[in-house]
Amino acid sequence: MSLKPRQVDFVSTWEAIQETIRGVITLDHVPRTVWNDRFSDVYSLCVAHPEPLADRLYTETQQYLADHTTQLLQKVQADGEHNLVKNYFHVWSQYSVGSQYLHSLYLYLNQQHIRSQKMSDAEIIYGSADPSTTNQGEQMEIGELALHVWTANMIWPLGSRLVKLLLEAIELDRAGQPPTIPLEAVRGTILSFVEVQAYKKKAHLHLYIELFEDPFLNDSGEHFKRDAALLLQEKDVSMYMERVKAKIEEELFRARRFLHASSLPKVAHRCELHMVADHLQFLYSECQNMVKYEKKKDLSNMYHLLKSVPNALVVLVDTVFDHIKNQGLSAIHNLQGESIHINFVENLLTVYKKYKELIKEVFKSDQNFMGALDKACNSVINHRPNDGRSPCRSPELLAKYCDTLLKKSSKGISEAEVDEKLSESIIIFKYIDDKDVFQKFYSRSLAKRLIHQQTQSMDAEESMIDRLKQACGYEFTSKLHRMFTDMSVSTDLNNKFQAFIKQEDIDLGINFGIYVLQAGAWPLGQAVVTPFALPQQLERSVQMFETFYHNRFNGRKLTWLHHLCQAELKLSYLRKPYVVTVQTFQMAILLLFEKTDALTCKEIRETLQLNTDQFKRHAVSLVDSKLLLSDTEEIDETETTLRLNMDYSNKRTKFRITAAIQKETPHEVEQTMNSVEEDRKMYLQAAIVRIMKSRKVLKHNLLIQEVYAQSKVSFAPSVQLIKKCIESLIDKQYIERTPHSSEEYSYVA
Amino acid sequence: MADENENEKMDNENQKPEKMFTLKKWNAVAMWSWDVECDTCAICRVQVMDACLRCQAESKKDSYGKQDCVVVWGECNHSFHYCCMSLWVKQNNRCPLCQQEWSIQRMGK
Ligand SMILES: [Zn+2]
Ligand SMILES: [Zn+2]
Ligand SMILES: [Zn+2]
Repeated sequence: MSLKPRQVDFVSTWEAIQETIRGVITLDHVPRTVWNDRFSDVYSLCVAHPEPLADRLYTETQQYLADHTTQLLQKVQADGEHNLVKNYFHVWSQYSVGSQYLHSLYLYLNQQHIRSQKMSDAEIIYGSADPSTTNQGEQMEIGELALHVWTANMIWPLGSRLVKLLLEAIELDRAGQPPTIPLEAVRGTILSFVEVQAYKKKAHLHLYIELFEDPFLNDSGEHFKRDAALLLQEKDVSMYMERVKAKIEEELFRARRFLHASSLPKVAHRCELHMVADHLQFLYSECQNMVKYEKKKDLSNMYHLLKSVPNALVVLVDTVFDHIKNQGLSAIHNLQGESIHINFVENLLTVYKKYKELIKEVFKSDQNFMGALDKACNSVINHRPNDGRSPCRSPELLAKYCDTLLKKSSKGISEAEVDEKLSESIIIFKYIDDKDVFQKFYSRSLAKRLIHQQTQSMDAEESMIDRLKQACGYEFTSKLHRMFTDMSVSTDLNNKFQAFIKQEDIDLGINFGIYVLQAGAWPLGQAVVTPFALPQQLERSVQMFETFYHNRFNGRKLTWLHHLCQAELKLSYLRKPYVVTVQTFQMAILLLFEKTDALTCKEIRETLQLNTDQFKRHAVSLVDSKLLLSDTEEIDETETTLRLNMDYSNKRTKFRITAAIQKETPHEVEQTMNSVEEDRKMYLQAAIVRIMKSRKVLKHNLLIQEVYAQSKVSFAPSVQLIKKCIESLIDKQYIERTPHSSEEYSYVA
Repeated sequence: MADENENEKMDNENQKPEKMFTLKKWNAVAMWSWDVECDTCAICRVQVMDACLRCQAESKKDSYGKQDCVVVWGECNHSFHYCCMSLWVKQNNRCPLCQQEWSIQRMGK
């Protein structure tokens, strides 16, 4: 074959081409040599001399295809309506493949002649050109031309009749009837509406949607409505949901068999619209019960169905919220007895874990439900009993729970278990609004553990504080850290003091140790220092330590907290020797009996200068422990005579008399609550100073917002309180109102 | 703290008639505070045992929340946060409480 342009006789060449086209388009046998010759003929015509004959070739080909399809149109209608789809599908199967071969035969025309006059792809996709107009005047590549001709000559005339038959076929399939049209033909015909647009860059589903999908969806919609109405007659939500779920599955399966993939979500949506969204009230009617009795299968179905409808989940989410909240409140309602704090925390954790698990299993941990769990926990944990008139006890009870775990105890609970429980307590902690109140109670019990050497393990103490720090930040735990610092500073002081008395060759007569606490860092209440005449045995220790301390520090004074001191006394007057650990006041009372066997309360009080309250508490504890005997039933602080019990015996040779100390009195609880208010003011003032120092000038509302954001980790301050603190800082001249606005403040350096 | 055997040994060596009660060990607890007439700093109106408001606002991140905000005593024996007083004297070299000329008597340590 020669590539040189030459003169070509169009009529004879076209006749040969036309013969081959007929074979190609009907998938007849075309010998390789013939194919090759025609391939060259197309080329020759396109480059013909003196004038290229491409346009003429194009027009003739178009005409040929038009004639061919017109014949096919007659042929498919020949066997009557019930064979229409089958026949259409048969000729389409042939034509669609044949047109692809034809496209290849015209390769040169497509590539050199047509593509060069067409707009670039980019122009079609991004340009303003309307693809429907480009098809009209301009030439198409031959494959596209063939499909275009098919659309015009087959689909337009037959379309509505085909669709009617197709919909009937699908309806028959839904009814479970045997097909009257081969399923392959149904599917193939439907997909032909997509395939004829395959060359389109844009909106290639347009024909399919308009011609078939829209009528199909409307038809299906009616079907779903009828189905729903039928199912609703049973008035059984649980069954209804099962059926709808199955129905959606079934329709999706059908869609996969017959339709283009893009229709699947639309089918599901239609089904959900008519079977779920249209009957929300019916579904909601059982929500309450399903949640109440925690019917997992029903709830899971409900979730899957409602999820598909915008905003429809809200009712279920709210119902779940109410349920968890009620369960939570009843789990902590009316707790009685010694271990309220343990029941409180562990019951709440049980509720939390149960519903977290349920939400995971039934609602796939959906954020809406996780949010409801959080909200419910929050409102249970911050619930104020008596319609909000009583204070919320969660911070106190949780702190007490931690105390029980961290304190030395005889209960056989392993260190790993303690750690596990403490780490779970953080779950509850995170929901507490007034975290600062928790911190108060926590620091009080920490103080007692440290001072009375009741700490089970320093590692456990520190890892708990780390957890709190992680949850609330450094500032939140800094006061707790200060207590630990005092403990280690005290260890150091004790060592230095021992070295000091050794060096000075001083004999204290006793084994002396001390904790020196920084005032303000320790929540020791008002640390009431009551009068007390120090037993002579202790005088030297106190004197020497004061001397030592004042040599080391400037401008400090020491206050001895005798109610927190402990002594070990050896008792040698009984059948066997005992060592008893007592508080300083108890020790002082006992020491008086060295010289005499009996003393009146009046004598004891006067000698020791103890106030009535302190005296009574400790005298009672000594009588209760049977170390002392009382001559009256009730101890009278004046008349009663106490004497030493010379017949005392105890199985243990080392024991402790604790009764009077560690009980948290209601008074202490109240005191703790009151000190919170003062601390909050301090905290807010520091926050305002901090913010103003960095911002210099700030509008009132912005300042309030920032303060709120900063304090939120610890408590939720009222705007009123923030305003009060701003005023007080203006008074103290930390900040001032700017001259141009009373709603703006500036920092005073 | 320290060993108990030492005490016991002492008791035996001295051969004293044994006492009924022997005080073996005393674990004392004491609280230290600045030796001031007034607990509150008159300049920032925060307790002198706590850091002054500016130091609290800075919330220094150094170890264990201890803030180096000490107390200073004037010759007049009035006391304030050192931070507060050093800012104050820049404007007015008199004690805010008694108006005497300010001079430092001692510093807390
Ligand atoms: Zn100050
Ligand atoms: Zn300061
Ligand atoms: Zn003064």
